[in-house]
Amino acid sequence: MGLRSIGSMSMIVGAVVSLVLIRAAAQVPASPRATDVPRTQDGKPDLTGIWQVMNSAAWDIQDHQARKGVPAGMGVVEGNEIPYQPAALAKKRENFQNRETADPEAKCYLPGVPRLMYMPFPFQIFQTPTKLTMLFEYVHATRFIHTNGTPHPPGHIDWWMGDSRGRWEGDTLVVDVVDFNDQTWFDRAGNFHSDQLHLVERYTLTDPDHITYDVTVEDPQVFTRPWRMSMILYRHKEKNVQILEYECYAFDNEFHAPVPN
Amino acid sequence: MTNRFLCAVIASILAGMILSTTAAPLAAQAPPPPKAPPPPNWIDPRNPPKADPNWSPARTPDGQPNIEGQWGQASDIITYSIEDPELERAEHTAISGQRPMVGRPIIDPPDGKIPYQPWAMKFAAFLHEQHRKPSKPEYLDPVSRGFQEGLPRINYQGAFQVQQFPGTVVITYDYHHTYRVIPLDGRPHPGADVKLWMGDSRGHWEGKTLVVDVANNNGQTWFAIVGSFHSDALHLVERWTATAPDHIVYIVTIEDPKVYTRPWKLRVDFRRQKAEEQWENAVWEGNMLGGLSQEFWGAAKK
Repeated sequence: MGLRSIGSMSMIVGAVVSLVLIRAAAQVPASPRATDVPRTQDGKPDLTGIWQVMNSAAWDIQDHQARKGVPAGMGVVEGNEIPYQPAALAKKRENFQNRETADPEAKCYLPGVPRLMYMPFPFQIFQTPTKLTMLFEYVHATRFIHTNGTPHPPGHIDWWMGDSRGRWEGDTLVVDVVDFNDQTWFDRAGNFHSDQLHLVERYTLTDPDHITYDVTVEDPQVFTRPWRMSMILYRHKEKNVQILEYECYAFDNEFHAPVPN
Repeated sequence: MTNRFLCAVIASILAGMILSTTAAPLAAQAPPPPKAPPPPNWIDPRNPPKADPNWSPARTPDGQPNIEGQWGQASDIITYSIEDPELERAEHTAISGQRPMVGRPIIDPPDGKIPYQPWAMKFAAFLHEQHRKPSKPEYLDPVSRGFQEGLPRINYQGAFQVQQFPGTVVITYDYHHTYRVIPLDGRPHPGADVKLWMGDSRGHWEGKTLVVDVANNNGQTWFAIVGSFHSDALHLVERWTATAPDHIVYIVTIEDPKVYTRPWKLRVDFRRQKAEEQWENAVWEGNMLGGLSQEFWGAAKK
């Protein structure tokens, strides 16, 4: 979407898009009950396992052609449109221009959610009735999704990975994530958010080896309306698969050593 | 949850001060009946209490001895020096104002010292000399530089949670979102060229003891701030023994034929803690330790 489309047309576009979104939401099937998926003792779909996407969203969550070192790929954004506010769109373009140094990934920081879910590294889920533990190979990040009915802690809290509270809607795990800082991006193409980011993730095990991962993104400081991403998480089935380490900041000790300039 | 822990420590110290000031006048009015002195709040690794050999832990649904829960070391060890408690006490009080630490975790050899080969003894002494004013970044404690602790250091760094699943034990540490996945299915370690900050863990149960073989360690982690070190030939055998409902005895045998003259052993006692959510502990990003490093660097430049 160009800058011209936003501006005077924004209200009309917003209204049309909202209608489309409502329709899209209405068409989402209400979590069909899968019968052939592994289940925990409490009867919930068991997401335990090692998972990874098979897409190029880590480079760009929208449709993109190849660049040197960047695989081409169809995007994961529904409708391929990210509804930036005008100033935010300018900021996104600036981020793209400066991405080699401005990208928080270049500093090896915790990549945040949802970005870490679709980086090209595996992660492992362990599930209990009260908590899902997610262990990531990338910078040994961890994520705990509390499913014991507790609310988000009081706050705003500035966390890199946010605060995740989940509940089961039928066979779909629905996770509400808030308490982000404004330091992380969505991809290497400069797509960004503020600390008002609010995610609703939906994890649906459609068969034993595939999770449909949908995430609704809301941030009133950056976007004109909520938007959605959808992708598949694939189960690693190699016999010897295990999570190893990608200690990003340790590869270049001299550069990364906290030495004053 | 380090801040919460610090707050709890400060609160208990304050409570202790208040109690001791109010207890004096009461005692003057009516002498209390004689009481046994309270047991020390820490467990001396070199003089531990006897465990009840007949006690055995409950089982998980898949039959493992159940050690799930939140644990923290009760051996009064801080990672300044695992060899020299006097230095540890002085330095730690000076830097942080925290109460002195007295734990001495090395139980074998009996002198509590790391059995370095002669060349390694010299290098350890050099690192010790460098640790306050390092002349190169690599002479500064790797944890202070934001790198992963490695084993066994992370086990005495702070609290951790144990979760048990069929065929796997998972440990998530409060500090630096560090974790371990310990398979129990007897699979082999990765190829020897794979070097990991946290090593590669393979476990099995022997009675109520979880035995974990840790290989594939890199040579970049230390045991403590003052530079006690190992090479990438480090090999550990950890024995986590459930000795009481709220007590795990951890004894690790440490061998590294490139650096030590013989295997040596370190003991840490873990006590069960109240389970808490493990909140984010970003280390590299916050760079608080970087600030500490900068003080070192400032000192080094003078």
